[in-house]
Amino acid sequence: MDFLSLAMDTAKSLGADYADIRIQKSYTEMIYLRNLSLKNTSLNEIYGYGIRVFKDGAWGFAHNNVFTTDEVNKTVKKAFAIAKESGRVKYDNGLVLAHERGYIDSYKTPYCVDPFGVPLSEKVELMMEVNKTMLNYAEIKLAVFMLECRKDEKLFASTLGSRLDIQTVYIEPTITATAVAEGDSQSRTYSHGGQAKGWEWIQGLNLTERAVQVAEEAILKVRADSLGAEERKTLLLDPNHMALTMHESVGHPTELDRVLGWEADFAGISFATPEKLGNYQYGSKIVNFVADNTLEGGIATAGYDDDGVPNQKWYIIKDGILNEYGNTRATAPLIGNKMSRGCNRATNYFDFPINRIPNLYLEPGKEKLSPAELIADTEDGVYIEGRGSFSIDQHRENFQFGGDMFWEIKNGKKVRPLKKILYKSNNPEFWNSVDAICDERFFQTFGVTNCGKGQPGQRGRMTHGGTLARFRDIRVGGSQ
Amino acid sequence: MITSTDMQKAAEFIRKNVSADDFTLSINGSEDLLTRFAQNGITQHITGNKLNVNLSVSYDSKNGSASGNNLSKDSLKYLIKTASEMAKLNQPDPEFVRSEPAHILPEVDNFAQNTAEITVEEIVSNISLCVKNAESKNAKLSGISQKHIYDTFLATKSGFEGFDRSTQFSHSMTMKREGVETKVSRSVKDHGRFNMQGMIEKLNSQFDSLNNPVQINKGHIPVILRPAAVLNWLHYLIWTFDRRTADEGHTPFTDQIGKQFFGKDFTFRSRLDDPDLAASKFLGGGVPAENVDWIVNGVLKNMSATRYYAKQKNLKALRPYNIIVDGGDTAEEEMMKMVDRGVIINNFWYIRPTDRKTGEWTGLSRDGVLYFEDGKIQKSVTNFRWNEILHDATKRILAMGPSVQQEYYAKVPTLLIDDFNFVDVTTF
Repeated sequence: MDFLSLAMDTAKSLGADYADIRIQKSYTEMIYLRNLSLKNTSLNEIYGYGIRVFKDGAWGFAHNNVFTTDEVNKTVKKAFAIAKESGRVKYDNGLVLAHERGYIDSYKTPYCVDPFGVPLSEKVELMMEVNKTMLNYAEIKLAVFMLECRKDEKLFASTLGSRLDIQTVYIEPTITATAVAEGDSQSRTYSHGGQAKGWEWIQGLNLTERAVQVAEEAILKVRADSLGAEERKTLLLDPNHMALTMHESVGHPTELDRVLGWEADFAGISFATPEKLGNYQYGSKIVNFVADNTLEGGIATAGYDDDGVPNQKWYIIKDGILNEYGNTRATAPLIGNKMSRGCNRATNYFDFPINRIPNLYLEPGKEKLSPAELIADTEDGVYIEGRGSFSIDQHRENFQFGGDMFWEIKNGKKVRPLKKILYKSNNPEFWNSVDAICDERFFQTFGVTNCGKGQPGQRGRMTHGGTLARFRDIRVGGSQ
Repeated sequence: MITSTDMQKAAEFIRKNVSADDFTLSINGSEDLLTRFAQNGITQHITGNKLNVNLSVSYDSKNGSASGNNLSKDSLKYLIKTASEMAKLNQPDPEFVRSEPAHILPEVDNFAQNTAEITVEEIVSNISLCVKNAESKNAKLSGISQKHIYDTFLATKSGFEGFDRSTQFSHSMTMKREGVETKVSRSVKDHGRFNMQGMIEKLNSQFDSLNNPVQINKGHIPVILRPAAVLNWLHYLIWTFDRRTADEGHTPFTDQIGKQFFGKDFTFRSRLDDPDLAASKFLGGGVPAENVDWIVNGVLKNMSATRYYAKQKNLKALRPYNIIVDGGDTAEEEMMKMVDRGVIINNFWYIRPTDRKTGEWTGLSRDGVLYFEDGKIQKSVTNFRWNEILHDATKRILAMGPSVQQEYYAKVPTLLIDDFNFVDVTTF
């Protein structure tokens, strides 16, 4: 039975102004190894469909997992009925959807080895080896390896005539060693986040070698000193660390739904309001943030978003100036945009698509500059690797970040490890303090697979990237 | 919606068809209606039923688990096949524990017909009422109203079988006009005990007490934390409240059981028989829930423990299933007179650990901050960032208000805490 056509025909016959159906099967394999004990080895499959109906400027969404003519029709009718109820308390005079056309297309994440085709025994064997490597060190009291593989198969149809067949895959290995010594406990993690790649990527990572580095740095860290009182310092932030800072301080504030106040009761709003477009100095002149949902290996890359809008590439911040938002068909017209940038995504079939951060990266510096040269050029500062504590206000303006590994820089050299470092800054101070960015030879990407947003909560995913960058005159100190 | 009979039939099918040495079948279903509104209009409206069926099987001590969202025989066969294949390919788990046998479970009352019968029309009418109130104040309202019916079922090869049905209604709304922004939220298991008009009045009262905020200096300042802030904080305390990670040296609770680790006025319990609060019949794996004193007069009595760790250390497998913090009898007006000056915080936001070992956390204030001096509210002030060792802060509790229901699972008081460590001020 062609449930796609059935749903769209029923929606049209009811008088829907627009409707779409997303049939989605999602597979998630999770393996969680803690000190050689497998705490979770599971395969989860979620299969069903969600139907959106747009009527008189308001949405209704109903989902189901029973695939019969009767149930599909009932689900369309439920979505239509609650869209009409929504219309009793309309947003302004009713929402308007940005112009779009229908597409008949398919997309598949490019990979060589399907991670779901790799035997569990092979995965567990690798994970055990990595765990054992870390536990060989007496100070390492906790060794964790988490592996997540996810595959989504989507069929999308809309009353615009779209028929899309989309298959995406990502893998995310995370290894953490925790050292306990001298009354303290400190962890070090290796993670690139999720990557839209096949198992061949894991095979090339040399995770056992990385486990040695992770364990040894955890031990260095637990015995390291902290800094004293807060003072203004230079920071060198690696792209893994910056993936988190750009996510929180650039990605979220430039989601148009937040800008419009749609998240005011929960995730918060944004300081980056529309009158700042084209004139607000978000960062220094060398700061360019690119949104790119066509990025190879990006985990928001899927051909089309869940509005049926093609993936695109554009500048969020150009030469330091706030240039454009990430938006959706429902949000774009509210600031006068005729077309959507295609950022509407749902996690599972039962989720309503919401305005998400696209793949977003800090464009590498245009001048040739290596990380070694940047360190050599820094007299006094702190080099931060990886992600740690993070907290930002609900307007996405004022924030405090930690990190995973810290090194003191003196006279152009890493001189000693540090721990318990926090820095405080805000927008626009932070991104305007950037005075050097390494070049494209050193560009790396890091996936975020746990971006919590929406009610009910959804776990969104996107990729961030960049190269080592230098920030001047930031408040840095030990905790407290 | 799937019935308990459907779930029992699924368990029977699993019993007949699983050849593994052990299994645990967990089924969770829900019927949901969620209406989200923003800037005085509905922006999202969702209805549907969800189901999660999880089967874990073991051969000797080798485990595998599979889950789906369908109870058909074909789907159950797929789960058996997938979980069994995973278990056979897996390595033995040195921390394997056999599934729970049959238990006599406590009686709990988590279901309310009033909640189950709420219609979409009623929810939209309530939202309309709230929006009209906001419009009368020339303000914008955003929030969510939602109803859920939850079914929880667990069966094991060793003979455990348990089922519980619960209801939940919640409503949350943030009202904003220029620099003034505040929020109220509440959830209950019984919609019959929900007072929408009272909630609107509370929102108006908070809103009217605020005006465009001014910045004051950071520092150690006495704080009155209203119940939403106290509960938000407790969520994070509970996150690290694990006996094993404490024993392994990763948290501040190492070697603190039985000791006065919190302030002497701080008592935190979970109770099965509180008529207002939801409770659990059984915990993870099928362990019967029971009344637990976690912290009594500042003495750490119990911590969460998994079934494996409880068995190893001869402890009870526990986790907090609801939150009751004992209160006092000090009104907020009295609290303001007990210190020279201070701030009143409606809620916290973005709490994260900064140092897991010392138990230091960071976070911000949200939903309106008031400055008081000489026993009276003086002005609205901008938000703060704080970095605090939260268990130490309980030692600085100067007074407590009555414990009031904040969510369907929690009763907490307003707290007056001395010298809260505000390390930064925000720009709004």
